[in-house]
Amino acid sequence: MNVRSLQKRLNERFGPTVSVQVKDGCIVVSGHLDSWDKIVAACTMCVDKKSGMHVVNDIRLDGVRIPKMRTPDFQDHALENAAPDVLIIGGGISGASIARELSKWKLDILLVDKESDLAVQASGRNDGEVHPGVDLNKGSLKQHYVLLGNRMFDQVCKELSVPFERCGQYVGFTGKWMYPIIWAYVWQRRYVCKVTDTRILKRKELFRREPNLNPKFHFAMFNPSAGCVCPYGLTIAYGENAVENGAKVSLNTAVLGMEVKNGRICSVKTNRGTLYPKIVVNAAGVFAEDVARMAGDRFYSIHPRRGTNSILDKKSGSLVKGIASIKTLQKNKKHTKGGGILHTVHDNLLVGPNAVETYEKENFATQKGSIDAVFAKQKLTAEALSEKDIITYFTGVRPATFEEDFIIEKGRKTRNLIHCAGIQSPGLTTAPAVALDIEKMVISELKKEKKPERNPNFCPVRKAPPVLNQLSYEERNKLIQENPDYGEIVCRCEEISKGEILDALNAPICVPTIDGIKKRVRPGMGRCQGGFCMPLVTKIISEFLQVPEERVRKAGEGSGILFGDTKCTDEEVAE
Amino acid sequence: MKELTCIVCPNGCSLRVEKKDGQWEVSGNQCKRGITFAIEEMTHPMRTISSTVRTSFPEVPVIPVRVSAEIPKERIFDVMKQINQVRVEKICGTGDVVIENVLGLQVDVIVTSDILREWEKEQK
Amino acid sequence: MNRYDVIVIGGGPAGLAAAISADRRGAEVLLIEREARLGGILKQCIHDGFGLVRFGEKLSGPEYVERFIKEFRERRIQSSLLTFVTDMKKTDHGFVLRAVNRSGVHEYEAKALVLATGCRERTAKQVQIHGTRPAGVLTAGTAQHFVNLQGKMPARKCVILGSGDIGLIMARRLTLEGAEVLGVYEVKPTPSGLTRNIVQCLDDYKIPLYLSHTVTRVFGEQRLTAVEVAEVDEQMQPIKSTRKRIACDTLILSVGLIPENEMAEKLGVRLDTKTKGPVCNHRFMTEVEGVFSCGNALHVNDLVDYVSESGELSGTAAAEYAEKMGSTKRREVSLNTDASLQYLVPQKLALSEGLDKVIFYFRSREVLKQGTLVFLVDGKEVFHRKYRNLKPPEMERLELNCTSFGLSDASRIDVQIKKEGDI
Repeated sequence: MNVRSLQKRLNERFGPTVSVQVKDGCIVVSGHLDSWDKIVAACTMCVDKKSGMHVVNDIRLDGVRIPKMRTPDFQDHALENAAPDVLIIGGGISGASIARELSKWKLDILLVDKESDLAVQASGRNDGEVHPGVDLNKGSLKQHYVLLGNRMFDQVCKELSVPFERCGQYVGFTGKWMYPIIWAYVWQRRYVCKVTDTRILKRKELFRREPNLNPKFHFAMFNPSAGCVCPYGLTIAYGENAVENGAKVSLNTAVLGMEVKNGRICSVKTNRGTLYPKIVVNAAGVFAEDVARMAGDRFYSIHPRRGTNSILDKKSGSLVKGIASIKTLQKNKKHTKGGGILHTVHDNLLVGPNAVETYEKENFATQKGSIDAVFAKQKLTAEALSEKDIITYFTGVRPATFEEDFIIEKGRKTRNLIHCAGIQSPGLTTAPAVALDIEKMVISELKKEKKPERNPNFCPVRKAPPVLNQLSYEERNKLIQENPDYGEIVCRCEEISKGEILDALNAPICVPTIDGIKKRVRPGMGRCQGGFCMPLVTKIISEFLQVPEERVRKAGEGSGILFGDTKCTDEEVAE
Repeated sequence: MKELTCIVCPNGCSLRVEKKDGQWEVSGNQCKRGITFAIEEMTHPMRTISSTVRTSFPEVPVIPVRVSAEIPKERIFDVMKQINQVRVEKICGTGDVVIENVLGLQVDVIVTSDILREWEKEQK
Repeated sequence: MNRYDVIVIGGGPAGLAAAISADRRGAEVLLIEREARLGGILKQCIHDGFGLVRFGEKLSGPEYVERFIKEFRERRIQSSLLTFVTDMKKTDHGFVLRAVNRSGVHEYEAKALVLATGCRERTAKQVQIHGTRPAGVLTAGTAQHFVNLQGKMPARKCVILGSGDIGLIMARRLTLEGAEVLGVYEVKPTPSGLTRNIVQCLDDYKIPLYLSHTVTRVFGEQRLTAVEVAEVDEQMQPIKSTRKRIACDTLILSVGLIPENEMAEKLGVRLDTKTKGPVCNHRFMTEVEGVFSCGNALHVNDLVDYVSESGELSGTAAAEYAEKMGSTKRREVSLNTDASLQYLVPQKLALSEGLDKVIFYFRSREVLKQGTLVFLVDGKEVFHRKYRNLKPPEMERLELNCTSFGLSDASRIDVQIKKEGDI
């Protein structure tokens, strides 16, 4: 690459305060700029994929302190001196799937996450699409893994008892004249990129399948292999199966520092003690760069990208049966890039997301503007889409690298480190395939010392508790006879019984919070958003933990629901 | 002159009340009850309050109570203090007195639900 | 299979009254309630003021509803508590219901159904509150449950959004129990709750009411730390320059109630877009033959007395229907309303049924010092009544003899409120 000409172009566009140089095998961009968008643009300008080097962003944002990673504000010694064979940092879909694949081996595996549950950040805040990979170009890791990952979903979801449906993806086109272009594009996708299911649906067939899409659609590009899955459901299922097979999961555990000597991580400091792992897997999402820095192996940068999705009432679920979006070739600045309408496995519609660059890795606040923008665009996909059907919305932050590709490789300078970084969309789809490769990397690294043995007790099938409202009359009746708690409905919108909530509390990874229960069995996910069931779930958790209700939390430390009794205690009366 | 909203019935008349020559004059009312209300509001406003009291039964941690008749508005929080200290140890029901003649106001604090009795029945 | 003439779904004030009146009319009745105890939401409405119309007394919610429960028990009407209806189907002979409870899955058959399923609260997301998702954002009803039934404090320092009655009542309840209520914010230029609640719940405790204001954003990662409030313009859009941050630990919402009709919709019952409850005739029968609706599932009432009344009337009608099932043909005329009415219930008159005592419930669209409710049949006025102080939050009830209207299947009925000066 020609650094000098790149530097010139940078200065022309961004002024004299930015500079680029190749250092330690990285393209390092430094200096300072007055807006985050400019920083992202400057770094993007420096991308040179052919070089095999990544862009590292050292540009300061004028007048802004980038928020630090939020960490649990307690300390204990629960993990002091632990020496796992493998330490996985990050309990998202990547970390959880890697833990599960590694649990095929007789290893001491520890997964840590700073949050109070798995899948709290990107993995719990996306639309759950299992992508066909039709929009990706050959040559990227994303494209390589998406084809492999997509094919694995039927088996993985069956083993882990996670609902999965291949509902198909439709990309509609309004311009008739675009047909030859798209025809050629589809041909290229099928035969060059090997997305072999890609085809064109003519108008009639499209509307036979999806009658409520924009009547102006002339044709659509169709991928029947596309599907949807509950993203946090899959992450938790992977995590639980890993634990069933002997892996350990430690939540509320933040990695705070590392000691690196002679190109090896010797110890890892957390708020729960110092660990001495043989190998570290960096699956830390938006904080992967920070972990890489601690490990002395920072050769890429993450630029977080925020996206907001809305969830619509099940009543509107019939509007779209699969995954639908519109493609216009004209640029409309008001419209956000990408996004679509997706029919979830729970029969809601999910609308979004948009894409906004941000330096705040953990700002999950939603904004009205994002929802308005998404709806303005998606009403072009399906006219009848209505904001009135929104029951909730959420924001996620994607961990993108400037190359916009994954980083799945061993440390470049630090030997006992494996990066699984830059996992943005289609990271959910790719996870099963990526996890297999990371498993190989870990085993080959461990082999250098001593060949690990297979775990003779490994069982790929998760022991999933029953979902009562999915059962037949007879099966449901039988289960209630065995356990009457299955007959006591707590959540009326989603029809969840007390027994199912207790099952979630007794699961291999117990997260006894309102959000933890909500993610696992769905009370509070419906149209009343927990108005009726939240006090009941609070009570069930308090009885399970045998603590007063004011000790029950919504999610992490400090998110208590209640402040104690309304009335005086005995002591107060005595006074 | 003072403006009040009558709360005797849902009509919610806007009342004007004024003292003229030692006599209260009320206007804006649609019925006689409005006059009584306005004068009472100006001289000694009265209110009822509802709350709960603690019990010794963990399944029914609190039961509802109210004052048996109106109390002076300015004594509301004094009465609340008394209510907050009560602990019901025995099964009781609607109409039962938990504080007799609270603070000497000639008013009792009474239970307004049979929930404890119902719960006791269920236990049997 | 268990067979009944009438199955009532919901054991709140509407359902209890329906079951009692159907039983009184001689029907074999079953009441299904999803909670462990009868009484519905009144169990947690411990404030007084219930029953003024019906009993001439100011009762607390539990006192009011326990009178009905007592009669229900005395009549030995069958009930199935802690039982949740999962499925309903219409058959040639009526309806088949499936329900679960702690003893298993059960099937019931009924000739007529009374849906007394009440209503639910609108949520923060439905009024487009943005920001983070901390603990401490809850509806007034949820707060009421915690305070009044569990004896737990959900708030120390709170802001209330919406001046609905439950919000006002909770402002007082929380104040009495020791919390600080910083203010009630209402997006509309007029309060949503009853005037007497504004006076007794806010003014008495010096809690400020901010009209034409709303909460635009919440802050806090774990527990709520603050809300952003702003004044709104005439289109109810927040005015940026008026934004203000208020530190608090709880946001309580009282932004409206929505009749629960998911069950009804599954049966194919058509809903009125104004009431969000079923379209029904003056005997409370929905457009699906044999399905009756009452109470807050039909339309959101502000006085329980009328909830009980509609329950009673629908129960009697359901029992009569079950008795003579299919023997009379439905003949109905619609009541057309214009924009002067927020809504009118019933939406239809059944010509094959007695019209001598029809009860109407309506709300005016606007606050009117004086207005006249007018009934027109084929353009000709057949009835009018003058009202003083019509307010949208305060529902009006009207009992009318419609026999003299000279109605036929082809009649067109219009109902309007004329403002003073229009006439």
